[in-house]
Amino acid sequence: MFACRNLLKLNKIRKKKRRKPHKSSTPKPPKQNPNSTTHDSHQFSLKSQSLGVQPLGNFYLTSSHHNTRNPGLGTIKSLTDELILDILGLLEPTHLGVLSSVSKSLYVFCNHEPIWKNLVLACSPHGFLFKGSWKSTFVAEKYPAYYSKAGSFGLNLKVQDFYSDYLFQSWLCANLEMKSEWLVRDNIIRRKGVSVDEFVNDFEALNKLVLIEGCLGNWGAMEKWDRDYLVKVCGDARFSVGPTQMTMREYFVYADQAHEERPLYLFDPGFANKVKELGRDYETPVYFNEDLFSVLGNERPDYRWIIIGPAGSGSSFHIDPNSTLAWNAVVKGSKKWVLFPPDVVPPGVYPSADGAEVACPVSITEWFMNFYEATKTLKKRPVECVCKAGEVIFVPNGWWHLVINLEDSIAITQNFVSRRNLLNVLEFLKKPNASTLVSGTRDRVNLHDKFKKAIEASFPGTIDELAKEAEKKKTEMEKPSFWDSVKDSNSGGFKFSF
Amino acid sequence: MTSSKTIVLRSSDGATFEVDEAVALHSLMIKHRIETGGADSTTIDVPEVTGNTLSKVIEYCKKHVEAPNSDDLKSFDTDFVKVDQAVLCHLAKASYYMNIKGLLDLSSKTIADMFKGKTVEQIRETFHIKNDFTPEEEEELRKENSWNLFV
Repeated sequence: MFACRNLLKLNKIRKKKRRKPHKSSTPKPPKQNPNSTTHDSHQFSLKSQSLGVQPLGNFYLTSSHHNTRNPGLGTIKSLTDELILDILGLLEPTHLGVLSSVSKSLYVFCNHEPIWKNLVLACSPHGFLFKGSWKSTFVAEKYPAYYSKAGSFGLNLKVQDFYSDYLFQSWLCANLEMKSEWLVRDNIIRRKGVSVDEFVNDFEALNKLVLIEGCLGNWGAMEKWDRDYLVKVCGDARFSVGPTQMTMREYFVYADQAHEERPLYLFDPGFANKVKELGRDYETPVYFNEDLFSVLGNERPDYRWIIIGPAGSGSSFHIDPNSTLAWNAVVKGSKKWVLFPPDVVPPGVYPSADGAEVACPVSITEWFMNFYEATKTLKKRPVECVCKAGEVIFVPNGWWHLVINLEDSIAITQNFVSRRNLLNVLEFLKKPNASTLVSGTRDRVNLHDKFKKAIEASFPGTIDELAKEAEKKKTEMEKPSFWDSVKDSNSGGFKFSF
Repeated sequence: MTSSKTIVLRSSDGATFEVDEAVALHSLMIKHRIETGGADSTTIDVPEVTGNTLSKVIEYCKKHVEAPNSDDLKSFDTDFVKVDQAVLCHLAKASYYMNIKGLLDLSSKTIADMFKGKTVEQIRETFHIKNDFTPEEEEELRKENSWNLFV
């Protein structure tokens, strides 16, 4: 079964009382030996810190008054940590190797794991075997002769007195477990045994969220899908993991060992084509059977994904493109969801004007650390839940959502178009940037016309009917009510009313 | 005659610079400030940047906004970053803070290029960095980096 790095369990080394974060949101741990893995419950200690980076706050608490960071950077010490890392990201691995020997400070910077992660992903588009750290993996992939001769690769230097908020924050987010207070709020509407009509009328048609329990009983996946089965049945098939393609076996090797702020997760839209058994092990819950994109047959855009990820993996805030509806069913594990309605931009999120880009500069953990508290005082609070194995969440059109796996998890998600949101989708597809936002279809530019034609062929008259209904609704909403006209005359407002 | 609105930018040390709005908008940070600013958005404070650096940043923005397709833009950029390290770092920080991608990319790349093709000693010399490793640590480093010798 899964090795469980379980975010639901409290870490035994966890600090009991956390200080209020200061304005840069970096927690200030009490003075401690950075290299200890003490189990003292009063210490703010997580896991062992391989490089010994401490937050800047600690610098002001020590008596040493020496920060290794600055002398080791020389004339570029005034650059921010983030800038330095960005610059290092422009270098070839060989340059990084040389640079890491220049000073202790540069040793820490040059061994920042995300830099090596990018290098591995760039040089291994066809998968890789993770070797405990991204740098080790890089050396093993690019210099296999050296690696097999050496037998292993590791970083052996410990650096004392290195204080950096940015690097510490990055390490902290990679190792922090979800605080229980972030998981407490569970205010989503739940239903069990609801009829399709009820679901459509009470939720789908109203664009409302709901979590449905107990409707995955007939899924073979619920019993069969464990690690051994998946590795066996998927064999050498490769699945999309970020920018790379990995076998199930390779992916699980990575997932077991990864400790990072943004773990890669397996997210593949072709899983049922690549391995037919996977497609046979599940079926669309009856509520979501109306799936109008199916009229396009093989030319339909990507519509279903298998999602596998370790604790801490997930997606930061986004809205699904295509204007479609979606469902997400957890087969194994559990996910924390935070959702905001279409008209409420979540704190810490900066969408571009046309909605094509969403900048959520912080990782999921960092979002929880920096912005979750603020949601408690918002006028329009988010909907939250923990979705467990056997449960399905329905995500309506246009809702912002953030999802994080609380433990090793497997899920299936699909998006779909029903009669109720057909016009929205057609409208969306007409937009000039639609072709960049719709994933998985070869002919994005003509998708609107093709889809419209195909709907007309399979369901003649439907589009016109829906358009008439929508127009009717619109005029009804725009007609001033009796009360409105009374109010107007009282306030002296003059209004024509035909 | 086109009427062009001007914006005043004020540096950390109180220096003021009057620039065309179009030039100021090259900084996405200023663009955001103007768009969300309200009535008094004709003077924008840039407290993270000194007057000297701000003046150079404005020079960059002017060139890129007023003559984006000119043939000498590339040589302008090359000459623009032929400055000492301190100024280069100030430019990098300012362009990051003011969200000017072109200048950020240019200054970052310039600094990155200064690391390339140099030995450890040469890098220390270029950037005035003292070696703070003990001989034992250096030996450990040699072992750790021996992959770098495999081609």
